[in-house]
Amino acid sequence: MVINEQKHDDIDIVVLSGRFVMADAPEVRERLKTLVEAGQGKLLVNMESVTFIDSSACAVLISAFKAMQLKTGRLVLVNSPIVQSLIELTRLHTVFEIMPNAEAAIAALAAG
Amino acid sequence: MLARSESNYAITLAIRSEAEQVSLLCEALHALCLYASGSVECALAVQQAAAEAINNVVEHAYHNQPDNEIIVGWCQEERQIRVDILDEGLSMARLPKPVLPDFEAESSRGWWIINASVDKYFYQTICDTFAGPVLHPGGMGTDFKDLENIPHTNILTLLKRF
Repeated sequence: MVINEQKHDDIDIVVLSGRFVMADAPEVRERLKTLVEAGQGKLLVNMESVTFIDSSACAVLISAFKAMQLKTGRLVLVNSPIVQSLIELTRLHTVFEIMPNAEAAIAALAAG
Repeated sequence: MLARSESNYAITLAIRSEAEQVSLLCEALHALCLYASGSVECALAVQQAAAEAINNVVEHAYHNQPDNEIIVGWCQEERQIRVDILDEGLSMARLPKPVLPDFEAESSRGWWIINASVDKYFYQTICDTFAGPVLHPGGMGTDFKDLENIPHTNILTLLKRF
């Protein structure tokens, strides 16, 4: 998978593309952990270009979400249909903040 | 990854027990299912279940030790796809119930996903002198501690109609 980090004002953006699976989990977990710890409490994980996801990837997202909660920050997800499908199957959509696209996610995070 | 075709409707795939190898196998299964069923939903569902099951083998049956083999048999049986996942690692004494954990839990969603993705799945451990019971979700089997030093094969079978 490809991991690309961007910054938009005080918002950290991680753009993931390709397959997000068990083999990628340690690296993504570490990158998100670093961003949560060092960032301003606003993190967007853009998975619009993720083509497949498994439960190991869900575990990474949960870990980042919990770390951000401890910091009273916000983690916002943008999902491809395949990612959204697994997030809904595992009922995680009831907890995660999910936006339809990156623009909406940035606007939501910028608004506080 | 090794692949061996048995017929037009069956193929055997094999990988080493490494997380990095799982995607290759799952993408191959996806392609086979798409070819057989013509259904994107069916192919994705089988891939989703297989990914979780093979991850379990890598992580739990082989404890992330890379030099073991995972063999996957794929076949089409009329309007059903059958996937048999074989390993020689640590056996499961029971097939976990597909229960969704609390949000806080970072793991244990795999069997839920498998259960939701395929129509049926079951598990069996066999060796030369012994065949364990066929375990269905939540079912208890034999205590396999005695099998640790005996060559054996664990088989998880996934069935998906299309």
